[in-house]
Amino acid sequence: MAGPAGLFAVYKPAGVAWCRVREAVETRLLRELNAAPRRAPRQQIRFLPTPAPAPSGGGALELVPTRVPVLADHPLVQGPRFRRLKIGAGHRLDVKASGVFVLGIGHGNKLLTDLYNCHLTKVYTVGGLFGKATDDFSDTGKLIEKTTFDHITREKLERILAVIQGTNHKALLMYSNIDMKTQEAYELAVKGLIRPMDKSPPIITAIRCLQFALPEFQLEIHCLHETQQYLRKVVHEIGLELKSSAVCTQVRRTRDGVFTLDDALPRTQWDLRSIQDAIRNCRLKVETEIEKTLGHRDNSPVHQLDVQTAHGADS
Amino acid sequence: MAGALRAIRTAGPARPFHCRGLGGAAGPPSTRQLREAEEAAPVFQYTGKAARRKDRVFVWGFSYSGALGVPSFVKPDAGWKKPRRIQPTPYRLETEEKISSAACGYGFTLLASNTTDITKVWGTGLNKDSQLGFQRSRRDQTKGYEYVLEPSPIPLPLEKPQQTRVLQVSCGRAHSLILTDSEGVFTMGNNSYGQCGRKVIEDEIYSESYLIHQLKEFDSRVVQVACGQDHSLFRTKKGSVYACGWGADGQTGLGHYNITSVPTKLRGDIAGVNIIQVSSYGDCCLAVSDEGDVFGWGNSEYLQLASVTETTQVNVPRHLPFKIGKIKEAACGGTGNAVLTEEGNIFVWGYGILGKGPNLIETAVPEMIPPSLFGWSDFNSDICVAHIRCGLGQFAALTNRGELFVWGKNLRGCLGTGRMEDQYFPWRVTVPGEVVDVACGVDHMVSLVKSFT
Repeated sequence: MAGPAGLFAVYKPAGVAWCRVREAVETRLLRELNAAPRRAPRQQIRFLPTPAPAPSGGGALELVPTRVPVLADHPLVQGPRFRRLKIGAGHRLDVKASGVFVLGIGHGNKLLTDLYNCHLTKVYTVGGLFGKATDDFSDTGKLIEKTTFDHITREKLERILAVIQGTNHKALLMYSNIDMKTQEAYELAVKGLIRPMDKSPPIITAIRCLQFALPEFQLEIHCLHETQQYLRKVVHEIGLELKSSAVCTQVRRTRDGVFTLDDALPRTQWDLRSIQDAIRNCRLKVETEIEKTLGHRDNSPVHQLDVQTAHGADS
Repeated sequence: MAGALRAIRTAGPARPFHCRGLGGAAGPPSTRQLREAEEAAPVFQYTGKAARRKDRVFVWGFSYSGALGVPSFVKPDAGWKKPRRIQPTPYRLETEEKISSAACGYGFTLLASNTTDITKVWGTGLNKDSQLGFQRSRRDQTKGYEYVLEPSPIPLPLEKPQQTRVLQVSCGRAHSLILTDSEGVFTMGNNSYGQCGRKVIEDEIYSESYLIHQLKEFDSRVVQVACGQDHSLFRTKKGSVYACGWGADGQTGLGHYNITSVPTKLRGDIAGVNIIQVSSYGDCCLAVSDEGDVFGWGNSEYLQLASVTETTQVNVPRHLPFKIGKIKEAACGGTGNAVLTEEGNIFVWGYGILGKGPNLIETAVPEMIPPSLFGWSDFNSDICVAHIRCGLGQFAALTNRGELFVWGKNLRGCLGTGRMEDQYFPWRVTVPGEVVDVACGVDHMVSLVKSFT
């Protein structure tokens, strides 16, 4: 009997490495799967020698057919049913970041590669602080310089954000490797569907300011192919552009492709039941997204996985 | 009982953790030491609250005519450097004064500032017809320069040079117009078709000429000037339009196909209409009224006016009945036209690369360019186009966020995208600042930009 299979999202807390989260989920699932009641052991008929009842025989052994459980099915002989689970991780988060972290179990790991090839955007909430510059662009690093920031206004920040968005939009069109002279390129550009479907440098598709209260500010960033350290570098560069300096205090992923904060399971819900419910809830969304983006390529693997994940989730 | 007096060691000033001396304990700095080191660090100030945004000029395109105003592109300052024929991306032009108006002609550029100093207008580029006035050569004091490689002052014969301000400049193929606030319009350059507003003199030699003509006879103060290829348009405060120059395509709109050498008022469909903007760059002209209607006259070989007439030349202004909403601004190029509506949408028609992909080559009826190409999306739904400008074969649009989008024929790198290929849909030009105005020429462009902070 296979364990659960499919894709689900957990909420990774800050200060913990992503592999620890994956191992914690694996340990918890193993514990619950092994604690479930096992199948009753097989019974067999063995002819066991038993002393014959008196008075006839008197001491001679007699073979009596008895039903005994097969020793090979004893729990102490077999050991735990599940020793390891194949849990794969989606787009990783570094130690200081937190947020939606997609994991796949069993056959769902194949869907992880498909989701990676869809190149969907991720949404982050990035918090920043003006006035300081550190060596690793976050507020826990070694201080390099302190600057004044009282000249910064929300309009100046939004102007900088508009130009960041503009240059990144241009990069989006350039790295998508489409010939700009074709009618097809024009139509995709009108719909806004052009994006790089191969490796590319980090690209920010949208950025806006959510909160601004000197010295703190908060941005919402939609990006592709990024790392969290790149987002911290962006905050640092915004500080430089405004003739001051800035450090990043918080990086929180609020959306990873189709998985949002509502789908992410907090630590109290990392158990078998909630994970199976989460897999079932997200299955449809994931399939429609993969179908839409990669559907025009080979169809059969997606359908095969569909059947297998259906069986895995229901058991 | 008070025992022996003990020396109480006072805590010294907080020293950074790496200067512990021999008395302190070893180990990584504690949180308190880190916090104290941070508070003791000096604060640098790079700019104050009263810092103003700086005004800059960026140029790009073909440089050998001198139109970009950077002499080192044409004559490099070191022997091993190569001359730069085309500047494919925006290049900053250092100017002494804040430039408030710029215009690109066919191979030359005029920059004007609305200051009250003596020098108000600078010109650079081609000067074979004295379209930049007389530029005395330094090698031979009797001759003038044919090509001006650097923005050089143009002396104007003003009556009150320290009070008059230059409002706008405009350039055509070989002539220029300078609009002042109280002394009318100054014209210079080629006058073989009367485009400078003075009588055509046979066999006149236009190069190295000192003549700058002044035009004052209009029904009210002139508020806008526009140059076509070989004709000039003047718009007055009362809303009437005057024209002079070549008329073989009907671009003077005076009802005939002859040359006009005196600015004459236009009639036709714009008689009595309050016109708020005129535009022309080739042989076709467009005018916008205060009620949002657009009128056109001139060349119609490229279907520019085909919505009202089948003839290829229209010599009287005709109303173009387009049902696209109230029109705010119009821009007329060589073969294609564009208008900007109140909602911030651009409509294009005519012939050439119109901006809707390689399949749309010509249309007589205006077609809208989808706003998503200018950055509009559900995420940014308040982006709209604020201004539209035309060169001979290209278009430029400015959004309300200060971004510049260009499309059209990329003649000698005039689009500024960094590539040499034509651009079939609006493409962002990366300019380090907020673009306030842009002027398009045949093979170069000039933009007026405000820095970010």
